[in-house]
Amino acid sequence: MKYALYLGCAIPIKYPGFEAATRMVCKRLGIDLIDLPFGCCPPPTSMKLVHYDSWLALAARNICLAEEVGADLLTLCSGCVNTLKEANQVLRKSDSKRRKVNRILEEHNHNFKGTIEVTHILDVLYQDSVVEKLLREKVTDIPLRVGCHYGCHYFRPPQVMYPEELSPAESYVPVKMDHLLSLIGMEPTEYSRKFLCCGSPLGANMDQDAGYAITRQKLFHIHERNIQAISVVCPSCFEQFDMGQIALSRKTKDLPKIPTFYLTQLIGLSLGMSSKEVGLDVHRVKSRKLLETINITG
Amino acid sequence: MKIWNFFPREALYECYQCARCTGSCPALEVAPAYGPRETILKCLNLGHEAVVQDEKIWLCCTCNVCEDRCPQKIPISDLLVALRNSAARRGNIPGKLSIAIELLAKTGRSMIVHQLDEMRAHHGLDPLPPAPVEEIRQILKKTKLNEVIDF
Repeated sequence: MKYALYLGCAIPIKYPGFEAATRMVCKRLGIDLIDLPFGCCPPPTSMKLVHYDSWLALAARNICLAEEVGADLLTLCSGCVNTLKEANQVLRKSDSKRRKVNRILEEHNHNFKGTIEVTHILDVLYQDSVVEKLLREKVTDIPLRVGCHYGCHYFRPPQVMYPEELSPAESYVPVKMDHLLSLIGMEPTEYSRKFLCCGSPLGANMDQDAGYAITRQKLFHIHERNIQAISVVCPSCFEQFDMGQIALSRKTKDLPKIPTFYLTQLIGLSLGMSSKEVGLDVHRVKSRKLLETINITG
Repeated sequence: MKIWNFFPREALYECYQCARCTGSCPALEVAPAYGPRETILKCLNLGHEAVVQDEKIWLCCTCNVCEDRCPQKIPISDLLVALRNSAARRGNIPGKLSIAIELLAKTGRSMIVHQLDEMRAHHGLDPLPPAPVEEIRQILKKTKLNEVIDF
């Protein structure tokens, strides 16, 4: 099993711990990763809104690099997967857009063909063969009540993100993270507003306080269900919950802080990696005390 | 920019103003946004030319929940992308966003930090190879990003 690892910008630069955890987890689970000279995805929350043609051309370049080595693209971020999946679909469907993009890319020796798929670490880990290996390799359970937050761009619009798995109402409700975490002994817990925005794009583009107000609403519902840990598959969502709780606690101290984890950090812990190895030591909301209660130290 | 190349104009007339989109909009709850229902209504009544001059169209999370819940299956997110592309072209773009795009065009990545190598080494990772800045800049010149953002 081999993928071209698409790191994006936020993970290798802001949260290299997620990258370290992901590389170790993939190695243990038999997933080979190829590194290529990718650029920014670019985000569906910035470049796409400002200049669609630039968004499409840069996304196409990233897809071309993976096509050239014949590997599917493995993304680690809800934003990256959204951009690259949508661009892949748009360029496959529209002859005129594909021609236009290829005219731009040909000078750099790229030519979009539409020969590879774009996927996300959550979908890769969810495959039967990987799950079987995970169950064999797992050394410890993580018995905590966990609230999963998928990140809107991971699954919306569903016609673009999961066209094969739509409900009769043409909707798609993600469950894979909940299922996967239950396999490592966690207790996935439903909460109100689970599938709504974390607030990150509004904060990044317009108004930080308004963005955090959305986060606060989500956190309220997470607390309501006595959730002990939040799990995410996107660095922007992570920042919104991790840094967001610090920012919100400066204003009001009514809610205790809940540690946030990137999915592969939790999988890594269950495979016996230490919390330092998976990069938990640099999170703003510390998880040490919580993990000690379930005998995970270091 | 022809916004109707991005969004089928007739779809505006499919909207019966039920406001399910607006009732679901996370931005509208915390900021003085219009919400999708009112945006569509303004496009119909005032024309999109007026809508794209309003900075409130940027008060949006791009979470696509409006489109997901629309009983008429109107591709609302395509409309919102088209409107904002058109707005940016007229200089209606949030300062934070234009700085972010300029950074991307100049560095090939959407963020930078100091002491990156040390941070990565802390997690046992090699330094990040430089981004293919020159290739990205050339592509962005050809897509004419500079008509909207100087870089």
